[in-house]
Amino acid sequence: MAMDDVQVKDGVDAETVDAVIALSGAYKYGWNTEIEMEYAPKGLSEDIVRLISSKNEEPKWMLEWRLAAYRRWLELKEPDWAMVEYPKIDFQDQYYYARPKSMEEKPKSLDDVDPKLLETYKKLGIPLKEQALLAGVEAPEGERRVAVDAVFDSVSLGTTFQAELLQAGVIFCSISEAIREHPDLVKRYLGTVVPVSDNYYATLNSAVFSDGSFVYIPPGVRCPMELSTYFRINAENTGQFERTLIIADKEAYVSYLEGCTAPQRDVAQLHAAVVELVLLDDAEIKYSTVQNWYPGDENGKGGIYNFVTKRADCRGDRSKVMWTQVETGSAVTWKYPSCVLRGDDSQGEFYSIAIANNMQQADTGTKMVHLGKNTKSRIVSKGISAGKAQNTYRGLVSMHPKAKNSRNYTQCDSLLIGDKCGAHTVPYIEVKNNSSRVEHEATTSKVDDDQLFYCRSRGMGEEDAVALVVNGFCKEVLQALPMEFAMEAQALVAISLEGSVG
Amino acid sequence: MVLPSSEAATRSAMHDDGLISSPGAWAKEVRQSAAERAQNQGLPERRDEYWKYTRPDFFVQESVTLEAQVSPKIQIFNNQLKAEILFENAVLAAETLPKVANCSIESLDDAADLDLHWVSDIYGKLELAGQYPVRRSLAALNTAKASQGVLVHATGQVSDPIRIHAVCAGRTDAIIHHVVKVDAGASVTLIETGQYGARCNVVMEVEVADTGHFHHIRVQDDHEIHALTHIFARIGADSTFKSFTMTSGGKMTRNECILELIGDNSAVSVAGACLGDNDFHHDDTVFITHDAVNCESRQVFKKVLRNGAVGVFQGKILVKAGAQKTDGYQISQSLLLDEDSQFLAKPELEIYADDVACSHGSTCGAIDEQALFYLRSRGIPEAKAVDLLTLSFMAQAIEEIEDSKISAAILNHLTDTLEAR
Amino acid sequence: MLEIKNLQVQLEEEDKQILKGVDLSLEAGKVHAIMGPNGSGKSTLSYVLSGKGGYEVTAGSAHLEGNDILSMEPEERAAAGLFLAFQYPVEIPGVGNMTFLRTAVNSQRKLRGEPEMSAGEFLKVVRAKAKDLKIDAEMLKRPVNVGFSGGEKKRNEILQMAMLEPKMCILDETDSGLDVDAMKLVAQGVNALRDGKRTFLVITHYQRLLDHIKPDVVHIMAAGRIIKSGGPELALQVENNGYSDLLEGSA
Repeated sequence: MAMDDVQVKDGVDAETVDAVIALSGAYKYGWNTEIEMEYAPKGLSEDIVRLISSKNEEPKWMLEWRLAAYRRWLELKEPDWAMVEYPKIDFQDQYYYARPKSMEEKPKSLDDVDPKLLETYKKLGIPLKEQALLAGVEAPEGERRVAVDAVFDSVSLGTTFQAELLQAGVIFCSISEAIREHPDLVKRYLGTVVPVSDNYYATLNSAVFSDGSFVYIPPGVRCPMELSTYFRINAENTGQFERTLIIADKEAYVSYLEGCTAPQRDVAQLHAAVVELVLLDDAEIKYSTVQNWYPGDENGKGGIYNFVTKRADCRGDRSKVMWTQVETGSAVTWKYPSCVLRGDDSQGEFYSIAIANNMQQADTGTKMVHLGKNTKSRIVSKGISAGKAQNTYRGLVSMHPKAKNSRNYTQCDSLLIGDKCGAHTVPYIEVKNNSSRVEHEATTSKVDDDQLFYCRSRGMGEEDAVALVVNGFCKEVLQALPMEFAMEAQALVAISLEGSVG
Repeated sequence: MVLPSSEAATRSAMHDDGLISSPGAWAKEVRQSAAERAQNQGLPERRDEYWKYTRPDFFVQESVTLEAQVSPKIQIFNNQLKAEILFENAVLAAETLPKVANCSIESLDDAADLDLHWVSDIYGKLELAGQYPVRRSLAALNTAKASQGVLVHATGQVSDPIRIHAVCAGRTDAIIHHVVKVDAGASVTLIETGQYGARCNVVMEVEVADTGHFHHIRVQDDHEIHALTHIFARIGADSTFKSFTMTSGGKMTRNECILELIGDNSAVSVAGACLGDNDFHHDDTVFITHDAVNCESRQVFKKVLRNGAVGVFQGKILVKAGAQKTDGYQISQSLLLDEDSQFLAKPELEIYADDVACSHGSTCGAIDEQALFYLRSRGIPEAKAVDLLTLSFMAQAIEEIEDSKISAAILNHLTDTLEAR
Repeated sequence: MLEIKNLQVQLEEEDKQILKGVDLSLEAGKVHAIMGPNGSGKSTLSYVLSGKGGYEVTAGSAHLEGNDILSMEPEERAAAGLFLAFQYPVEIPGVGNMTFLRTAVNSQRKLRGEPEMSAGEFLKVVRAKAKDLKIDAEMLKRPVNVGFSGGEKKRNEILQMAMLEPKMCILDETDSGLDVDAMKLVAQGVNALRDGKRTFLVITHYQRLLDHIKPDVVHIMAAGRIIKSGGPELALQVENNGYSDLLEGSA
């Protein structure tokens, strides 16, 4: 039979069919890079905080900032309200800093980086070379170039296209470099979106973050290429605590991508990141994530605990932020990319696919806090539960008294595959003025048997059929992703659902 | 209540042998354990997630601070219903309990003195089951303290609705506990009107057997100033449970409804229409558990608020593993007539079965300008047009009432209430 | 009956002028038609006359029997005898058609200081008028416009017109979305209300409605102005040649 004939209700295209069918194998990124590592002593103390700071050659103010966060963290309690269960984390049984030995001397450029490390990224399919550009060859039409900051365990290996970006005035570097090279910008914005004491994990991150990415787009500049950070956790028993700060000045625009993977290990690992986005007047940021941390095995052994705080502050009038996330990995996810719509006429959007299979647990969603007049927000969340997984959407839409004439639309759909999993929806809706309009819709249902049967009667295997139908279910969110990511995400949907039927 | 002496002697011997309990022992025991439950759990506090949008202060404080207000407003169902149960100052007028075919109506106070009574299988039991996963200590406290209430046992089709009407004065602090048992094949409609006290804590436990049908209508207008109500119901197979509440009075009202569907093919509905003005806080909290196959549940709540009134909705559908073919529907909508009013909602789904169709919707906004203009262009003054659109908005909730006579009465009552304000 | 002078209107929210000085004089008992291409301001004129929000009158006036209607609330205009048959009648769930009609009739009477119509009398009148428009009892019981077909909605508008007995009726694209039979029925309803005193302003894009409701005067509107007025033959000219000739002529 011809694949082109396949028609599924929610408009899945032939491309998806091909992508889905081409895929096989479980977690693709579970291999480990054998490399000599340098660790800080296990456990967490003021000394460790000082050590991280000195490794990054930070100024004194940064160390003070970290120490204040550490002291605050000691007073905080781990949150317990999310619908996730995991064994108590022993924060003293972790490494907080791990870097490849070869990175002790900061490489002058990516060419000086240990080939083994570069090989890792090649294997992951992340281009760290700028050959096309260096050779003076124009990129093929339609193919967009992407600048990459590659973070390996606790350090950034390097950032591509820096020089070209700088010509446009765009600063794109690791956060440790930014603290050294652009202290004024960092000082002005770091911790202003996610305050040091925001929540348990954000406070922990503030104390021990080792690296991450920094972006500054000057006024009126449209970033000439997509920027991206690729996070790889490789070392064992090591937590990754990265910090991302993106500032879009007036009328600036940037599209930013984030990807993450980790090797397959029996012991769960902690990842507690903080992402802060600052938008001034008329600025726009698109932030896309494909999160594919190791999810643990089918019995729930190992995997990443992903406790992430992401927030955008639309300070400027008419600013616009769009979060798009595809969450397929992690054993436990605790993540709510949020928008504070402070400026008048500012807009926030959140598009999310969260897939939980086997023993995975995801508690994710967003907060839309409307403070300014005529602000708009849109939430589209697609949750898929399979195996024995638990998947929760948790969200807040808040219309403050001064947020006159604001709008929110929320669509929140859950799909269940199999009768051992759970799908939950916990939205909070707070409306404190009457000129604003809030609409919230949520549905929960199982994979449509008719659709499955249709696909299978055309010769597709059950898993392929499920992947296809799920891709259709997620279409609205997939469409919000940049092209390259959309393809990768479609493929991921298929992989992460493997073993969910039969 | 005194037993014949010869029999009393026998019983006394049986007591000594521990064969049967002493008079009122069941009540003492259940009250004692409820008191301990409330003690262990502690009373609700402002920081409790479950009380996120409503402050429990008035319900937990020692004394009643405001006097009951009897407004000579519009009355509903007066002299229309044959069977009436009366409460005066939070005390049941036990001597005037109506006689109704296919139904026994008794006083809780009397039953608590007996050694055996059907109510001992229900009283405090459904409330206890409703303490998980959320603690509802004020309901436990009610079980421990309540002496007033009616026990309604429907053994067949009860043709006319039974009305419970309450009147009070001053700072009456009412603790009322009703129990309803609907047998297989039986059906009964209960209507609650009036005010039990200036402050009240009311619990109603309802056991609906397989093929039983229970309808509950409540009008809260000439109303308690601070009211906290709980309905705990357990519903068998092929049966119906429907509860509708219209609220237009009071300062702070929280109506909790905790339903558990334990038999297949049943249908439940909890609905409310609320008209809030000024210093008014109204909270609908619903928790429906599906623990059976092929059941339908509906939650329909409409609130129209103005002059700073606050409306709260917390609704949850829990579908347990194995509760396949569940159809769960939930809608909560608010119409804010001015800038000062607020709507706070937390509509939840928690689902552990895959072959289900559950949905919820929640909207909040101002009045539809198009519709308002349409009405005004036909010569209807703005205030009247707003009233008509208010009725239009409420209609979906009122349609949940099965008995068309009652829904018509509610609609008229709502119309009159709107006109009077 | 209705005197419109140099009426200039812009949108409240944005600085966009829609009516750029409309002059119209409608004598009592006559049927005037306004024709024009999409976006010419025809519907805006009907909304501004009936008092819909969102528009700002920047200049000009409109008087109904000498009374300044632009300063009145929508319901006052209705009580003064103005009626707009909507292009898209609004659905009002939960409010019965009868309740709605009776509320409207009695509200207007009250505003005019007249006694209210009794329930019995009202019922008798409404049934008779509904029958003429082939509106059955069932439709009267249903919520206002909810679940009505396009034709039913428009007939319902005409029923309201018949019940409210306005002096000045504006029909905004009443023919849109109707098939020939439905249009005839609506036209019959309108024609039945022509009594030599009542005035009509029929707004339409196409000439076909005017085959059934014969106008006395036809106006062509374009870009917020009346660019040409004439007899019924003007409508035929549009039918045959479209608007482009006329628009070019005025440019």
